[in-house]
Amino acid sequence: MERETYDAIVIGAGHNGMALSAYLGRSGWKVLVLERRLEEGGGLSTELYTEPGFLHNLHSNYHTFVGLCPVYDDLHLVGGPDGVAYGHPPVQMGSIFADGTALTIHTDMAKTHASMSRFSPKDADTFLRLYREVKGFQDLMIRTLMYAPPIDVNDITRALSTWKVEEKTEFFRARLRSMCINDFLNKHFEHDRVKAMLAFHAAVCGYYTDVVGLAVSFPFMLGKIDNWRIAIGGSHRLAHALWRQMRRAGVTLLPAAPVAEILLEGGRAAGVRLEDGTEFLAEKVVASSVDVGQTFQKMLPPGSVPLPVLDQVEQYEYQDGSLFTVHLALHKLPKYKAAAFDPDIDRAWVLNAGYECLEDFNEDWAAIRKGEAPAEPKLNVAVNSLFDPTDAPEGKATGLIRVFAPHSLRGEGPEAWRTPFREAYARKCVDKFLGYCDGFTAEDIWVARPYTPLDISEKLVNMVRGDWMVGRIADSNLLANRPSPALSQYRTPIRGLYLCGSTTHPHGFITFGPAYNALQVIADDFGMDKWWAEI
Amino acid sequence: MIQREYDAIVIGGGIQGLCLGAYLQRAGMQVAILERRHEEGGCVCTRETTAPGFMHNHAVCMEFLDWMPFYHDFGLAKLGARTLYPDAQFGIPFSDGSPPIILYSIASAENYERSHRSISTYSKKDADTWVGLRRKAQDLEPLFCQFFYNPPAMPTPDDPDPFQTLNRTLLGLMGLPEHLAQGSGKDLIDFLFETPGLRTLLYKGLEDWGTPLETKGLGAFALISLFFVETNSRIMIGGTHTLAHAMVMACVREGVEFHERAEVNKILVRNGRAEGVVLADGTEVRARKLVASNADLKQTLLRMVGEEHLSRRWVESTRAFRYGRSCVLGSVHMALREAPDYKSARHDRDINRTFITVVGVDTPEEMTEHCREVEAGKIPTIPALFTSCLSVFDPTYAPAGRHALSAWIFFPKASALGRAEWARVKATYNRRVLERFESWAPNMTRTNVIADFFETPLDLQDDKRIPEGDFCYGAICPEQLVHKRPFLEAAQYRAEIPNLYLASSGQHPMGGVSAGVGYNAYKVIAQDFDLPYRPWETTGRGF
Repeated sequence: MERETYDAIVIGAGHNGMALSAYLGRSGWKVLVLERRLEEGGGLSTELYTEPGFLHNLHSNYHTFVGLCPVYDDLHLVGGPDGVAYGHPPVQMGSIFADGTALTIHTDMAKTHASMSRFSPKDADTFLRLYREVKGFQDLMIRTLMYAPPIDVNDITRALSTWKVEEKTEFFRARLRSMCINDFLNKHFEHDRVKAMLAFHAAVCGYYTDVVGLAVSFPFMLGKIDNWRIAIGGSHRLAHALWRQMRRAGVTLLPAAPVAEILLEGGRAAGVRLEDGTEFLAEKVVASSVDVGQTFQKMLPPGSVPLPVLDQVEQYEYQDGSLFTVHLALHKLPKYKAAAFDPDIDRAWVLNAGYECLEDFNEDWAAIRKGEAPAEPKLNVAVNSLFDPTDAPEGKATGLIRVFAPHSLRGEGPEAWRTPFREAYARKCVDKFLGYCDGFTAEDIWVARPYTPLDISEKLVNMVRGDWMVGRIADSNLLANRPSPALSQYRTPIRGLYLCGSTTHPHGFITFGPAYNALQVIADDFGMDKWWAEI
Repeated sequence: MIQREYDAIVIGGGIQGLCLGAYLQRAGMQVAILERRHEEGGCVCTRETTAPGFMHNHAVCMEFLDWMPFYHDFGLAKLGARTLYPDAQFGIPFSDGSPPIILYSIASAENYERSHRSISTYSKKDADTWVGLRRKAQDLEPLFCQFFYNPPAMPTPDDPDPFQTLNRTLLGLMGLPEHLAQGSGKDLIDFLFETPGLRTLLYKGLEDWGTPLETKGLGAFALISLFFVETNSRIMIGGTHTLAHAMVMACVREGVEFHERAEVNKILVRNGRAEGVVLADGTEVRARKLVASNADLKQTLLRMVGEEHLSRRWVESTRAFRYGRSCVLGSVHMALREAPDYKSARHDRDINRTFITVVGVDTPEEMTEHCREVEAGKIPTIPALFTSCLSVFDPTYAPAGRHALSAWIFFPKASALGRAEWARVKATYNRRVLERFESWAPNMTRTNVIADFFETPLDLQDDKRIPEGDFCYGAICPEQLVHKRPFLEAAQYRAEIPNLYLASSGQHPMGGVSAGVGYNAYKVIAQDFDLPYRPWETTGRGF
């Protein structure tokens, strides 16, 4: 049977698979992207989840690498008729506390300082010093760490040491490798509420605050505390922009085309076979943007992958928890009691409503690891309609409430998310939220529809156990350890087979890092002209 | 940001608009498609309404893909719009477990035999009749396409009533008596067939494929629903969304510019012609050559153009144009652990693998009563369901081992009930559906349902501006068909305002996933603007 041949076949049309395909297409390669679902996008998904006219981001809500990531510029993803229009909320995030106080983080750091000072002037000063110091290193961090194939963390430490980092900076220490985010915060900050705010920022980025080693990433993250952007019209606009660029680059995308097997010929990845039997050939590259389990255990025949690598894949760890969301269709914008303390809280985007101190986070992580949804849900809330005039009907608003929650509920497994517990937990979250509100009651909520960790894993098979970071965020699973030492450079033991998804460095979230870095490696291997921005 | 000027502005990115936009762009015009919603496709969409991972189509039967010029001229299959063609197309199981009646696709002689065998369980005479007529219709497909994919014939001294001519021609070609033209589709079915179960199946098919059951004067037109489009349906692999995506991609590839969340408030009429549009946010977008509207007739002419620019004749005719109650649907969506296992399957397992099954009515009387209730503006007591469980054919429609079911049921127009009443129906109707369903398939218990959702005609109107929830954007009745669709002066897609064209499904031929209106409107525009791209002349197909 005649099989169509391409230069490259990309498995999965999430943002990484799409980006890689667009680069390769623009380099003159004939590229095919195969997507299991009926449409491209992966985590870039926006749907009318409640009522007509209410657009909900079901997965990715926050885009924090706009302006930092070279892919946006290389692929013309921002602005123009085909690109995304991004909003940049002046009040980036905030915390509402039970005692009616609030802390707000602004794009204008003077305002952030002022808000923090009301809790602790010392902490406010420390924070500003830290922020400024990180900003000074941001380019270096991005160039050497984020948008380049990963180097070993020992090499990083050695390099920083040689450079005498400890003499040059206040906050960077080799010791960070043995610290968790809690340790870092406790060391440098004094006030519980300030620590909670900063810990919240890390948690929403997928970094659990009690995991040893993550203190290394923490300063870098703080440098982006002012870069939370909202895709006007919904996160899927970015998927659409990518898809159109792919089309312009001549890339073929086939939806509803789940890959069953990667075809091997003479030890080389030579193509794929779909679940319906159709085969396609790849002359140069097969790049998988899906998880290592699917790639190595499902798509490759036994015996084709060296046992040590298979072992590593088998031992691949995922995050302890996922997310439980309640998507809201609202009759009006909520306002908070805490606005009496700080009016800016009513216009904050990413809201912490529940975490008051570091111990609150620790409790949640402990519960999740035991397979329990936190008994007292602590919320992260976002009402996108504050900044997006198009995501709800006139006069209405779209919002979400999120809670960290396990995929498998102890005793019943993930199916527990299909029992009455689902609605009960949603009600709990909503009630908790309403407790913070002023002049906003249950009547103002038209629909509150849950979206559970099981929903995540059913819809996006790649997000194993609902893990949107697609792999544990910990020292042992980052940088040159991700997804395993043998696989961290985007190449695999099989010639022509590459990894380019969130299971590789850096990790999940909309970073484009995996795709961009896989591209560098592919470009090197095939002697391609690197027409894209030198990072 | 929207560039301020284009050659052609197409209002609405539904399939008619996408089709028209692609053709105009290929013909050399710079086109902008302005879509009010966040995405294009309109009714051609797939949503995970019940639970993530479970796909539910809005429109489900792709029976025009063989013939649709847009699909072939723009290579939509290669852009990801792939299909399956199930053998068992349309069938009816019974609540007492009697043998089902299944109509098979026309893909092979063997399939005709299978249809014959199935109907013969009840009546060999009916089997002969059905197979004979279906074969005739298959042979007549080129003529059917001529009718469908061309602007309507207009009255002339020699042919003062093209609709009646069509009726006579159809009946003549199918070898049937002329008097059937005056009757209804129900009269036609009763005339042709004696088996009650077959009548029930065909009553439902008639309605779902566009012809209301008891409207007089549609006895010949009903032949289209029953014998041309029925049993010719394909499933889009992955969901009909892939077809919409392929259509959008075809447009993008040609160079069409898209703007979503771009609601048009006014069509600018200046210097005696349509010069552009004004969006809800006040932006003016100019059209150097033409404006075409995919939005329904009343929206286009009364709201966007405004009565002050129209003659009294046009205003009155537009106002008089009826939406519904034909083609107004409510839809049931269910995420299931198991696909329905019908009692009737013990006689013929194919019923469990039939593309569309009619569930909830056993007899013609029940079906007729159901239609009459709906006609009277009431929520039907008996749910008569046009059911599909597409995960049976395409596993990508649901997570592994699970199933996604959708069913359509005729409902009163959106304006027949108040908002609060619709909300109540939405929250409760599925219970009635499930209770009924269990009598046909005992495994359709409450526990078999993981999640469910109900969409009302009001939802369709709210979400997609489908007027009254009528997917044909205009009642199917003798007064509103062919040269009178939507009315005589407007039947050739040209609005009264020069350079303004009407391209909603309320024009000829009608709705359904056929992109017929878009194509036909393009033909008229190609003529008016002397456009070079004329595939009806250059390809062999003849339309």
